[in-house]
Amino acid sequence: MSNLWSRIVLGLLCLALVCCSLRAEPGAPIDDSAVLAGVIDHYIGAGYAAKKAAPAPLADDAEFMRRVTLDLAGRIPRNSDVRKFLADKSPDKRRQLVGDLLESPHYVNHMTRVWRALLLPQGNNPQVQALAPAMEAWLRKRFNNNAAYDRMVRELLTTNVVQTQAMRQALANGGPVDASGVAFFQANDLKPENLAAATSRLFLGVKLECAQCHDHPFAKWSRKQFWEYAAFFSGVGPQMAGQTSGDDQGFIPAADAAHRHDIKMPGSGAVVQARFLDGKQPAWKEDATTRAELAAWMTAPDNPFFARAAVNRVWAHLFGVGLIDPADDLREDNPPSHPDLLDALAKAFVANHYDLKFLIRAITASKTYQLTSAVDGPADDPRLFARMSVKGLTAEQLYDSLALATGFETGDAPDPNGAVNGTVGSGGARAEFLAKFSNVADKRTETQTSILQALSLMNGRITADAVSLSRSKALAGVLDSPFMDDHQKLDALYLCALSRPMRASEAERMVKYVKSGGPSGDSRKALADVFWVLLNSSEFIFNH
Amino acid sequence: MHHLSRRDWLKLSAAGVVTTSLSGWLGTLAADTAANPQRKRSCILLWMNGGPSQMDTFDLKPGHTNGGPFRAIDTSAPGLRISEHLPNLARHGHRMAVVRGMSTKEADHGRATFVMRTGYNPTGPIQYPGIGSLVSKELGPTDAPLPNCVAIAPYRFFNPAAYGPGFLGPQYAPLIVGDNAQLRQPGQPNQQAEEDYGKLLRVQDVDAPEEVGQAHADARLNLLQEMESDFVGRHPGVAPRSHQTAYDRAVRLMRTTAAKAFNLDEEPSAVRDAYGRSLFGQGCLLARRLVERGVPFVEVTLAGDNGAGWDTHAQNFDVVRLLSQVLDPAWGTLMGDLEVRGLLDSTLIVWMGEFGRTPKINPQQGRDHYPTAWSTVLAGGGIRGGQAVGKTSPDGMEVVERPTSVPDFLATVCLALGIDPLKQNVSNVGRPIRIADKAATPIQEVLA
Repeated sequence: MSNLWSRIVLGLLCLALVCCSLRAEPGAPIDDSAVLAGVIDHYIGAGYAAKKAAPAPLADDAEFMRRVTLDLAGRIPRNSDVRKFLADKSPDKRRQLVGDLLESPHYVNHMTRVWRALLLPQGNNPQVQALAPAMEAWLRKRFNNNAAYDRMVRELLTTNVVQTQAMRQALANGGPVDASGVAFFQANDLKPENLAAATSRLFLGVKLECAQCHDHPFAKWSRKQFWEYAAFFSGVGPQMAGQTSGDDQGFIPAADAAHRHDIKMPGSGAVVQARFLDGKQPAWKEDATTRAELAAWMTAPDNPFFARAAVNRVWAHLFGVGLIDPADDLREDNPPSHPDLLDALAKAFVANHYDLKFLIRAITASKTYQLTSAVDGPADDPRLFARMSVKGLTAEQLYDSLALATGFETGDAPDPNGAVNGTVGSGGARAEFLAKFSNVADKRTETQTSILQALSLMNGRITADAVSLSRSKALAGVLDSPFMDDHQKLDALYLCALSRPMRASEAERMVKYVKSGGPSGDSRKALADVFWVLLNSSEFIFNH
Repeated sequence: MHHLSRRDWLKLSAAGVVTTSLSGWLGTLAADTAANPQRKRSCILLWMNGGPSQMDTFDLKPGHTNGGPFRAIDTSAPGLRISEHLPNLARHGHRMAVVRGMSTKEADHGRATFVMRTGYNPTGPIQYPGIGSLVSKELGPTDAPLPNCVAIAPYRFFNPAAYGPGFLGPQYAPLIVGDNAQLRQPGQPNQQAEEDYGKLLRVQDVDAPEEVGQAHADARLNLLQEMESDFVGRHPGVAPRSHQTAYDRAVRLMRTTAAKAFNLDEEPSAVRDAYGRSLFGQGCLLARRLVERGVPFVEVTLAGDNGAGWDTHAQNFDVVRLLSQVLDPAWGTLMGDLEVRGLLDSTLIVWMGEFGRTPKINPQQGRDHYPTAWSTVLAGGGIRGGQAVGKTSPDGMEVVERPTSVPDFLATVCLALGIDPLKQNVSNVGRPIRIADKAATPIQEVLA
């Protein structure tokens, strides 16, 4: 494509995008998200051209389905759904699949967990664990209603922190906990400086915390700016100053001086007034609390950080690598890989009322997202997005996928609190598994595996039961099927575990092994061996 | 020798008889070890879950109302006196430095556990690694047949994150054996109780299930390897490579004879008796076997029968006496064993809990949480033994000499191991974090 031509196309695309988002006729033929997908492919394509890189081919249906199901529903697809999807001849079945996934309860569960982990990264800490169900319930409500992202953040920032009494009682009695964002504040120890660091990182994509202690010669943010921002949280604090350990439930009874907006900088003792990061002064109003002022500034359509940080986070969720990477570290010396694309996504996100599902529909509809991850030859820069990166699964994704592949459990346990965080000593196979597989890597392209994790996957009870001739569910179903030959049985196992049929290149080796029956000459045992291999393969353990 | 009773063994070893008779074959090994300048140091952490009472172990105040009933006894180091319930250990006083000026801030089990084990407060999004992961990253080769960091019978309930590798990632995670095994000790009245301590301390899932059989287990690994080389060839990247490495190391552990380190049945019965037939005693024996095989960091938890044994809010003296009787033979024998093998000079032993206990005795004859003034012990490699550093007031309420903070202490541990405490690792938020906070002042006077 010539440069001129590509500019014209892009102009048309952008025009269409703006028109669509302004137009509100029912049944409009053009889907905004499809247009935005074209914009994505345009900018990413320009990146290939600049670096003389060639994009990978598109992923086949099975690869796409597994990937997008893990990304949106937090687990692999059911094998019956894979068969249906592969047989489906309709041209827009990928878009249809995304639509179905976004409306499934698994989307709500998965997003709740993803955001719980973002908001409460201290999740291993028992105090925070006690609070996590309230946070999850709060998130669940919002993802269930597809709450607009700006509204969600405003609500979190303006959470009433002095509502802990009922929660304390609920926690003490082990009863269900009310949905509340208070856990976010408690997890940050009710300290303005911690809240400042967390909110700027999460919602603005900037790391202020390094400026907490001193000015850095090359960083944009000064120490004074950090504390001016922290002053927006200066009203939040423990009821009794100096008490920091809390009670058994991890609660420090909170106080909130809702209109306070100054803070003393440690060391110098200078008192600074709350000021926005863009240097503007808040126009204090009597009826707006300090945190409400911050929330209004942060989520205003012209905020230079907010929408960019949000779209980048969703991008990083789907690609494993952000346009800004690390996702929460926008600075002058860490520019986005595709700045124009980031701007276009942010604009479209704002124009579509901060609708996360819209954004997901657009990105997953792009060719860029649909590229295969499997390419011969050396790795190129993952930030070119010339192929899909391999992403590690969260402990929850892995457990729920194992459950589905092996049939030992139906995936999501119906827990009203959604209390799914793995706790040592809290019992249950799931909690035990989650504790062993918890992985704090921020970048899912760089997750690591421990020896105990590997041993557990190879020899642990879950795998042993899954491939046992007497105790397995999925395997038994295949073994005992009278109408399948070895090839078909193998196909069925591949569909269960890898969400794809066996490839011709694999069939020869595997069929031969099963026919021979392996070392004991027992083809049932040999099929169990193959199932074990599939469950232990990188292809199963990763999202690719 | 295996028919010797524990009493006989103790008598003999006290008299030096056993040492002499063992030196025939141990001597060579000891000489080899000592002669090898390449030998890296190891660290054994003895973790006292619940917060041990300093006033009844290493900083006694006989005669003071806060002192309690225990007497102090002499150790092999002139002037260094410890509890009468630690007689075996007392023979190794010249290799021990008691840090009596510990002064920390956290009095909550969870937070204090985190701070003592990571050196940092548990705040913000930074996932601080535990000391074991930090140390083993510095000291351990990446291709060793055994894991570089092993945690024996930890009881992690107070703060699971304090035992994790944090931002260093799972490749530096401790291999845990006997997780929460306190609750499954032999004789415990529950369904999961084991009949033998050795079984509790095996590596979980290290063997393929019996029903599979060796031939099929091997066939599986061969099939898997073919499948993996296909996948990794077409999917380069950090995550798949790390996964590959973990599987390689796990398979090596399954197949290597080095994994026999975990088989305590290989030890003569008299040796097992000498360490004490307790979870902690057998754990210390396992620690010795691992250090012998070059594992750079091993920790053993002493947590009593309920997991928080040292949390003696009531009946402090009865409980501390019983725990001392578990601690003493285990630790004392460990010191002796390491010395005989020539490993004591390269093995640092650290004794600590999350905090100390109130000098004042409460109405339940207990002592409560007290971080203001308490004790830890450093022994063996890299340590100038035979001394106490720091001092508490006569009532034990405050540190009057050489107060030692958590960073001070952990920096000292690093230096004793030959590690630069100021070394930085890149954290999960991208910011470099030093192993020990740079404000740390190491206790130079205990370093050899």
